[in-house]
Amino acid sequence: MKKLALYVLFVSIAAIFGVYLQVLTVGHATPWAPWVLALSTALSMLATMILGAARRGRRNGGLGGLAFPLLVTFVLIAGGFALALALPGAGEPLVLGLPRRAAIVLYGIGLLPLLVLPVAYAVTFDEMTLSEEDLDRVRRAAAAARKSPIDQGRAGD
Amino acid sequence: MTELYPALQTVALPQLAQPAVIAVAVAYFTGVALIGGWAARRTRTASDFFVAGRGIGLLPLALAAMAATVSGFAFIGGPGFVYTAGVGALFLVLSASVTSSMSALVLATRLRLLGEIRGLITIPDAIRVRYRSPAAQGLAAVAIIVGVVGYMATNVLALGLVIDAVFETGLPAGIWLGMIVTLAYSVAGGIMAGVYADVLQGLLMAVASVLVFLSALQVGGAGQGLAGISETVRAVDPGFFGPWGKLAPIAALSLFFVFGMGSLAQPHVAHKFYMLRDPRKLKWYPLIMSVALVMTLLLYFAVGVAMKALSVRGSIPPLANPDQATPMFLLQFTPILLAALVFSGVAAAIMSTVNSFMSIGAAAVTHDLPRAFGRRVGNELLWGRVSTVVISVLAAALAHTSGLLVAFLGIFGWGLFASTLVPALAIGLNWTGATRAGALASIATGLVTTLVLEALAWFGAYSFPAGVSAAGVSLVLSFLAFFTVSWATAPKGGPEIDEDVRLVMEM
Repeated sequence: MKKLALYVLFVSIAAIFGVYLQVLTVGHATPWAPWVLALSTALSMLATMILGAARRGRRNGGLGGLAFPLLVTFVLIAGGFALALALPGAGEPLVLGLPRRAAIVLYGIGLLPLLVLPVAYAVTFDEMTLSEEDLDRVRRAAAAARKSPIDQGRAGD
Repeated sequence: MTELYPALQTVALPQLAQPAVIAVAVAYFTGVALIGGWAARRTRTASDFFVAGRGIGLLPLALAAMAATVSGFAFIGGPGFVYTAGVGALFLVLSASVTSSMSALVLATRLRLLGEIRGLITIPDAIRVRYRSPAAQGLAAVAIIVGVVGYMATNVLALGLVIDAVFETGLPAGIWLGMIVTLAYSVAGGIMAGVYADVLQGLLMAVASVLVFLSALQVGGAGQGLAGISETVRAVDPGFFGPWGKLAPIAALSLFFVFGMGSLAQPHVAHKFYMLRDPRKLKWYPLIMSVALVMTLLLYFAVGVAMKALSVRGSIPPLANPDQATPMFLLQFTPILLAALVFSGVAAAIMSTVNSFMSIGAAAVTHDLPRAFGRRVGNELLWGRVSTVVISVLAAALAHTSGLLVAFLGIFGWGLFASTLVPALAIGLNWTGATRAGALASIATGLVTTLVLEALAWFGAYSFPAGVSAAGVSLVLSFLAFFTVSWATAPKGGPEIDEDVRLVMEM
């Protein structure tokens, strides 16, 4: 999963570069440019989060209990951008006090992910991030490295 | 980076010298001084000075990270930006719903664990141990020093403007007074004073923001809340509440990309992960940080749209200078005590950011640069204090003498940190295939392209088309350099990473 995330990150960054290059060359954005930038931005953030979250030996391709919340977050961001680009502006109804497309941006992208990822991170913390055993393992490895004569030459310190 | 020019607070505020405002400001500064005195007695080592002895709890960490993230811009320049650009201005802060989780997933645990097992105290330290490269540490430190001086000068100028407005000291005296107060608690108590002052400052900012938000919806909507504001404004200016506001879609999306991804490697925020006492407490970090951040940003949105509605309705004249949105709203439409609280909140936001920059700047000078050349400073605590003073005086002198240069330096801080540190630090700590050459290429690309492109844009030699910013281009180029050079220089025998570092990366 990490390898896939890495490739997706590279491709999405290259696509953003392509959009910038197109705007710099032509002087203005073509109609497809915002769509590519919207999708690539959402993908680059998703790929970065997967790169940080995925762990060997966990279910759901290494994402464990974070797979679904990450997917929901991506759908909220990419879907929010897509709706903002696609929906007509004329005669918009108010949704929670804002015109529909502004509401999608503010509530859908700016607030809803707040209810998903931070909670999922806390709930899956032991499984996906740092259990007591993980912490012990790191501390034991560090202690062993300090005792090892090979460690004297570590470029890190 | 045209979209970010409104982020600079360089225009004088209206005079605010009223007894209630002065009293609250004096109480606030006294609180900060007391915290500085308390922390000074507990600062005995370089570790205490730079990473609070790795002994702070989760709540102070989250509040300190939030306070360092949000500068005075969120209270003054931000609402002005919303007043001008409508919903488009929100794209600068919209990613706040995701960035705390993203930084927790990508950076927090790894930095905290590396800090513990290798005794790291700076972000360039982490880059050194990841790539076994003192050169990468040195280059990252140079980027941080360049960014810090510019950022600090801009913030010190903003602090001078606030102090001048409250105490009528004149701008030069305001700049030096603000710097001396911040310097006093930072030099004496180091980052420990900074963190606990941040708790006071963060709470002040969040409470003030929520109260102003409620008041702004009430006043701006003429009793009908946000719906009243929307109906009033869109009747005469439909674009204001369009999904991208007054910005082109590509400009708004570009802001989201730069500020979303860029948040991953803001050194003054990431550095705070080293300070947490128990790494397992990070479990609740994204939730607390995100809620605190969103609470603090409520004012940013509400005051901007409320002032627009009040202007459309004819209750106030159109603002000649958008930065007047917050001061004018507070002085005309809120109780004076709430206004006083917010003005102290502005000073708090600026001071917490400046203090964080002082700490990472001093660490880059006394810790990272010597290590990049294979040397160590004898007494890091003493020299940390000395370099804090030197960097601060330099920033204040810049703010005092050259407004134009300060504005230029302040523009690129965020973009510079993003383009030099996001690939090498945030991606590098999660990808064992990243190489030393890739990291060096990425940091150098980010540093050079940011400085060159921002200079070209600032001095009018090149004008970026709408939607493209120097920060965005630099970040993307830095990423591409990182990937391509890493793949091209991948060692045949597999990645060269110390075992304990690899174990942390695989967590």
